[in-house]
Amino acid sequence: MSKVLRINMEDLSHKWQNVKPAHKTYAGRAFTSTILSEEVDPTCHPLREQNKIVISPGLLAGTLAPSSGRLSVGAKSPLTGGIKEANAGGLTGTRLGNLGVRGIIIEGAPKNSKDWYSILVGKDKCEILKTNQYAGIGLYDLIGKVWKDHPTKPGIIGCGVAGQRLLENAGVFGNNIENSDPGRYAGRGGLGAVFGSKRIVAVISDGKGGSRPEAKDQEKFDEARKTFVKSLNAHAVTGKLKDDKGEPYGGLKNYGTNILLNILSEAGGLPTRGFRSGRFDKAAKISGEAVHDLVDKTKAKFGDKAEGKYAHACHPGCVMACSNIVPYEETGKQHVSPLEYETAWSLGANLGIGILHDVAELNRLCNDIGLDTIEAGNTIAMFMEAGIIPFGDGPKAIALLKKAYDEDSVEGRLVSSGAQTAGKTLGVTRIPSVKGQALPAYDPRPIKGIGVTYATSTMGADHTAGYTIAAEILGIKGKVTDPRDLKKAELSQAFQATTAYIDSTGYCLFIAFCILDDDDGFNAMKTTVDSFLGEDIDVTSYGKDVLKKEREFNKKAGFTEADDRLPEFFKTEPLPPHNVVFDVPDEELDAVFKGF
Amino acid sequence: MISMIVNVKLYATLRKLAPKNVQIGEAFPLDLDSPTVNGVLHKLGIGEEQAKIIMVNGTRVTKFDHELHANDTVVIFPPVGGG
Repeated sequence: MSKVLRINMEDLSHKWQNVKPAHKTYAGRAFTSTILSEEVDPTCHPLREQNKIVISPGLLAGTLAPSSGRLSVGAKSPLTGGIKEANAGGLTGTRLGNLGVRGIIIEGAPKNSKDWYSILVGKDKCEILKTNQYAGIGLYDLIGKVWKDHPTKPGIIGCGVAGQRLLENAGVFGNNIENSDPGRYAGRGGLGAVFGSKRIVAVISDGKGGSRPEAKDQEKFDEARKTFVKSLNAHAVTGKLKDDKGEPYGGLKNYGTNILLNILSEAGGLPTRGFRSGRFDKAAKISGEAVHDLVDKTKAKFGDKAEGKYAHACHPGCVMACSNIVPYEETGKQHVSPLEYETAWSLGANLGIGILHDVAELNRLCNDIGLDTIEAGNTIAMFMEAGIIPFGDGPKAIALLKKAYDEDSVEGRLVSSGAQTAGKTLGVTRIPSVKGQALPAYDPRPIKGIGVTYATSTMGADHTAGYTIAAEILGIKGKVTDPRDLKKAELSQAFQATTAYIDSTGYCLFIAFCILDDDDGFNAMKTTVDSFLGEDIDVTSYGKDVLKKEREFNKKAGFTEADDRLPEFFKTEPLPPHNVVFDVPDEELDAVFKGF
Repeated sequence: MISMIVNVKLYATLRKLAPKNVQIGEAFPLDLDSPTVNGVLHKLGIGEEQAKIIMVNGTRVTKFDHELHANDTVVIFPPVGGG
């Protein structure tokens, strides 16, 4: 029986509640967005006591369904001023699923407190611990200390120094399975700062005594999940590491998400040097293929001592295993985990940096300080755009980011505050943000559909919210949708609705590459959800219901259609090499949510 | 039989079919007997299902009989996904 844990940080109390009957099919994003829309005043200050943090493992987290252990974190976003859900892998989703926790709702804030707290959740127990020793330190140190203090291999999420200082690009970190890196980020939207505002450093989930959640129809569930594993393993994107001849097979396992860097560059859609070009001449040096080669090279040189990896799972039970551990070339030891496509872009191509070590170091710093890498790269680009440091200068970018450790450094605070705040402060007019959140790694000028998603998503500019790239560039689902076609409202809406469903199930969004291509995979996936709940859930209407609640929240927070637009420079500055602008008409953007 | 040189780039799981010592993202010359995309695939032993995304001089092409000209750059990707 799932429970909801409600924590009040004003009087440091907690209570366990039953899941409301009306919420029984909600988990993950559906749960966080429903609770926020029912309980949080959309006009509240996101960093004061009226905001709430909602944490919810996806519906199937903790079960044996493949790649189903994602965790959603929601709150009103300090970055966008709207509703936010960010999700990640790591250990916490699985631990909470095993503990039977549907959600944790954290409300209020301690009055005038100088103390820092952590929340320890276990089997039928919750403690709010005073943990000042966890505050003000790097997150690599923090996760090590937590596992020393709590030797049951708990999941950990929370905020780093950026969140503790209430800075708007603070992400919510998560420890990885090995507890070697705090790099499993529910990164976007500044939710780490909401943790900081409630004086919480960490939420520690101790799975001891937990058990696997049971499906309503366990037999059907088990059959479907096995079919789904086969389907995922067979697909060329999500599939196994090697084929029968021992040659590299599955794209994600071999090269990670960063398999995309070269294709986006070749397609002319890789935003480079602050969205000035669609191609990066050093893309290959920081691509997934380069990480793959570095891992192999360091393995050959250092043998058992080599720590680099590809085909690395981000959460227990992930069969796609797109994560990696990037090693130092000189020692073979772990430098950072993971290095994702979005990060290789934001801290690499977007800054004109083509040296893998420098990109990995910028990523490691973000993980340690508690910053979202997509927003951090865009923010550093504002410093480059303003001429404070040059594009392409890795060491200067690293030195700038290191200032974020220093509580007294104004530059350090600015580099932790997101692209819009930094850009405006530094006099930049080319700020690539929608609803205050900076764009990810696909330029919307040559690839129109993703621009429609950036403009209209409830989350601000977010590729995962409606990943039309799958149809426009990757040719998933049979034929390729022309990226230059302007009629993209329907495509974007379909992806946005399906995504809201997937984000609620606990499944990783990357299952989409398989289920869009393979009907058996789709049916098996849907059957796992339906047999778990004991009811037939319509994927699209479930997703639309979530989107409706989010749109409504944003409307009450003050958003209008005028906020569903891209920054002006995308409409006026042609992007080489194709020399195109974003020319989707406003009516097409407004058509995405017409009738919602 | 005509003979014509085009430049080819292979990525991800297709890289193993490029000549040794070709760097990631580096084009290598290929002498074609048949001046089409299919000619490239045949010569390199790439199955149609593996050649998921093909670009000629930076533009996506979807027909395997797409005609090629001397010095064209042909980029081939297997099925890829990420994000």
